[in-house]
Amino acid sequence: MHPVTRRSFLATGSAGALAVAGAATIGGPLASVAAADTADELTPAQAAALSGPTMLQVLDAATGEVEILVEERSIVFTDKHLVARVLRATR
Amino acid sequence: MSSHREAPGISKDPVADNTDTYAFVTPNDTVTIITSYLPVQAPAGGPNFYEFGDDVLYEIHIDNDGDGKPNITYQFSFETVNTNPNTFLYNTGPITALDDPTWNRRQTYKLRKVTRRPGRRDRTDVIGRGIPTPPCNIGPRSTPNYEDLAAGAVKSFRTGEKVFAGQRAESFFVDLGSVFDLGTLRPFQDRHLIRTPPGAGVDSIEQVNVHSLVIQVPMAHLTRDGRVPRDPMSPNSVIGVWGAASRQKGMSRGSGYRRSAGPWQQVSRLGNPLFNEVIVPLDRKDEWNAVGPDKESRFAQYVARPELAALLPVLYPRTFPNLAAYDKDRADLLAILLTGIPSGVIDGFQNFTGTTQADLLRLNMAYPASANPNRLGLLGGDFDGFPNGRRLTDDVVTIELRAVAGAVLPRVDNTFTPDGAANLIEDGTFPPVRQFLDDFPYIGTPYSGYDVPAA
Repeated sequence: MHPVTRRSFLATGSAGALAVAGAATIGGPLASVAAADTADELTPAQAAALSGPTMLQVLDAATGEVEILVEERSIVFTDKHLVARVLRATR
Repeated sequence: MSSHREAPGISKDPVADNTDTYAFVTPNDTVTIITSYLPVQAPAGGPNFYEFGDDVLYEIHIDNDGDGKPNITYQFSFETVNTNPNTFLYNTGPITALDDPTWNRRQTYKLRKVTRRPGRRDRTDVIGRGIPTPPCNIGPRSTPNYEDLAAGAVKSFRTGEKVFAGQRAESFFVDLGSVFDLGTLRPFQDRHLIRTPPGAGVDSIEQVNVHSLVIQVPMAHLTRDGRVPRDPMSPNSVIGVWGAASRQKGMSRGSGYRRSAGPWQQVSRLGNPLFNEVIVPLDRKDEWNAVGPDKESRFAQYVARPELAALLPVLYPRTFPNLAAYDKDRADLLAILLTGIPSGVIDGFQNFTGTTQADLLRLNMAYPASANPNRLGLLGGDFDGFPNGRRLTDDVVTIELRAVAGAVLPRVDNTFTPDGAANLIEDGTFPPVRQFLDDFPYIGTPYSGYDVPAA
């Protein structure tokens, strides 16, 4: 498990995991928030590449630390903006 | 019990609850390892009969270099299907073969072998896919000729392994009701602080079932040098074995589904019987289940100063005075449970794996299988028995109670004289009412739901 920045995380092609994770575990509100951010929209190929459940949990809201659980992996990274959007979606 | 429902967390997750692990020498230079789950199954288990968890990773680990980490791991991953979505029944007629269309709910598994060597990448080999498990033993109408049916689930592979996974009769035996009623032990019931008349042992888990993973492996596949061990004094002859179950870190539930994701997190493990049960404090039992044996030094203090050894003289006044007066770390128990017994302690015997403290079921494979097994294993002079590996017939409760009471402490500390009571303690459930098998998979045929309990 290697902590990564959001930028490097996105660069590795796991952006689909990030966006769909919210939809998978938090549901509609976050999905709509994510969809509104066109910069992070998935291409059809990216969406198709994601198989199986993907889960996101905020480990530390203050620091923006987030963990993604996908397949048999855990990916921990820091993204204060994402955490802020997640928290807004829960209200 | 050996490790049935032994920790608060895992007691609520029976599918992943490892109950017992056995390892013993078998013919043709092989070792058979058995590790069981799903404790205390009432045989009449319908309509949803017991099965392994599709969302659990079951593993049998073998350490052959003494670091408490696995060098070889066998992984069992299960998949369950309903062949007939239109019935509430497990079976719609007699199940006479593993492909019988009357059998609705079936479970198969994939068996993988992971090999780890220093300085090299882990290697994973798929030994087999779609390996069948037998149905549960329902009764004479649903599962006639159960032994034949179960025999169909024994599979041998060209890689040398023989394997079985499925329901079996509980193999462990213990007077659980007595032991956990403030340590009531035989033959001292009338010496207990709260006295009761002497009475025979009652096997609390007679006639229940478990689910077992059984694998037979050529010894040469398990040693660090790849050879069949012949010299009992060689470190190459000793392996450490334990079973473990893991669940994925994340799980979500919805209407009619359950999903898991993330890395596997261990939730249960078992090497030596009763380790987590009677050594580790209640508050740390689930933590113990979640880490590997290489982290055992965190728990070594409970072996060095076992709570049970302090309790015996209190519960049985004037019965264990020498034990009560002993105020050193228990080097005997530290060796038996955490490092293995080095050479020089018992003439002609060793199962030492090094100085790394780890709860491993250690087996020196160079000692041949006994023709006449002694139920007290090493305590009875039988090098082939617990704590050198563990056979199905070893009376491990009595062995460990006597060891905790100081029966073998003089072997490592000649200033100590055991109390006379130490070698008299009995669990009182031997010989157990069990029908072990003479051949693979050795652990007995499960009790049938129709027949147990008896009419």
